[in-house]
Amino acid sequence: MTEPAPLRPGTDRDSAAWWELVRRHRLAVQRCTGCALLRFPAREYCPACRSRSWEWRDCAGTGRVAGWTVTHRAFHPAFAGQVPYTVLCVALDDGPGLRCWGRLVGAGPDALAADLPVEAVFTDAEPSLTLVDWRPAAPPH
Amino acid sequence: MGGTLRDAAAVAGVGYTPFSKDSGVSTTTLACEAILAALDDAGLGPEDIDGIATHRVGDSSPPWAVAPALGIEDQGWYLDQFGGGSVSHAVLGQAAMAVAAGVAETVVCYRAINARSEFRMGGQGRPPAGAFDLQYQAPYGLIAPVQHYALLARAHMLAYGTSHEHLGAVAVGQREKAAGNPRALKRDPITMRDYLASRWIAEPFRLLDCCLETDGACALVLTSAERARDLRRPPVNITAAAWGGGHSSYSGAGPGGIGADPTTSAAARLAPRLYAMAGLGPADVDVAELYDCFTWTVLVQLEDYGFCAKGEGGPYAASGALRIGGELPVNTHGGFLSEGYVHGINHVAEAVQQLRGEAGGRQVPGAEVALSTAQPGYVLAGTSALLLTAPR
Repeated sequence: MTEPAPLRPGTDRDSAAWWELVRRHRLAVQRCTGCALLRFPAREYCPACRSRSWEWRDCAGTGRVAGWTVTHRAFHPAFAGQVPYTVLCVALDDGPGLRCWGRLVGAGPDALAADLPVEAVFTDAEPSLTLVDWRPAAPPH
Repeated sequence: MGGTLRDAAAVAGVGYTPFSKDSGVSTTTLACEAILAALDDAGLGPEDIDGIATHRVGDSSPPWAVAPALGIEDQGWYLDQFGGGSVSHAVLGQAAMAVAAGVAETVVCYRAINARSEFRMGGQGRPPAGAFDLQYQAPYGLIAPVQHYALLARAHMLAYGTSHEHLGAVAVGQREKAAGNPRALKRDPITMRDYLASRWIAEPFRLLDCCLETDGACALVLTSAERARDLRRPPVNITAAAWGGGHSSYSGAGPGGIGADPTTSAAARLAPRLYAMAGLGPADVDVAELYDCFTWTVLVQLEDYGFCAKGEGGPYAASGALRIGGELPVNTHGGFLSEGYVHGINHVAEAVQQLRGEAGGRQVPGAEVALSTAQPGYVLAGTSALLLTAPR
């Protein structure tokens, strides 16, 4: 029996370049070159100064757990073989208000706590699709 | 503020279809049945309609199909609002505006869905609609509303110590009230033990945290407050309506930290405008019908509409304050958790019956001011709400 195909993101003209960076294992946010605000998800205008001038800024790839849910039933056939699975909301360490979503890997949900440090893991789901997952960060040396 | 909308329009009639898990009929038929019932309640007929409004997410019959199905050749002013629960009360508010502006005299608002037998909100294999924020979530299996709200509820638990028992207090309490509602799909009492034993759907939500996927329709007839006084039923005024407060689904870093706090809903921004239009405050509200797609949305709205301090929604619900006879009776019909899920409009219909004093075994004695609210603005940006007042 073959695994169902992954659910692909419906990218748009604002986000396609971000997904392409992820495919190359880069996690980035936009930095406004007008006012230096960091923003995610990708969009063309800065919500603070309305500048359209921006650049990609590579993220540290680390963050803190802001919330999670353990899903016990598949809401789409692509995930039927994965339940129960845990999806995190991660507050990126790069700046306030930057949040990302991804699966928990390398640990079970019992390991989770508020503000637990996590680090990004790139998962190549298909040759043309890479996802950003999260695992508990290694303790500092 | 609100010079022309405040108390300009009134609800003159309310109508329902039965609620079920399989209506066996089309959403067009459901809409027609509810509309005819609402018109009959008001003492009016289809020939009196010169406005028709609904909202939908590709799951229901639009005004241009429903009006001709009722033999209405010219529907007049119409609104076919895209959106889910967050716009449910915006439809009523905009219909009130049409009446206040004199664009229409008699508007019927409806919502008709086969939310169990045809179009389940949880996806069931449908590709996620649209891109925007969802594209960053769906590939990880974050697809259904229950999962989004579960994440937010977890964040609220982490920030404020909200507990499973706090969520359970909403589920148990609403079932208690549904016992007095002959329309409710679920009327058998449940205990906290039942709640805690119900199976996980998306932690921290169990089955009993989730609204009932329902087939059904509900309709309300709006007309001018002045004209409503001469109709069959006591009019219930739309004293205030408000919209907005939205941010994209709890992401982004805008000026002022838009969306920075996932534990606060869009209702926190909308509420001051709503109360200001009415010249009322939270202390004036006698009964509140708060959008309860999941138990937690009740808790966050108790906070964001000003009935308790931020973070205190759980303890407030667990205190018994939300009972009939409590400080703030909430979801007197049992809500979407126990009556059924008609995507918001059945909350307004319940508020109307409370203010008419006809809610029988679930009546809040002497209710004069009701708050009714839409989905608090996480899934489709903004929210909407109404303040309604009893006939004078």
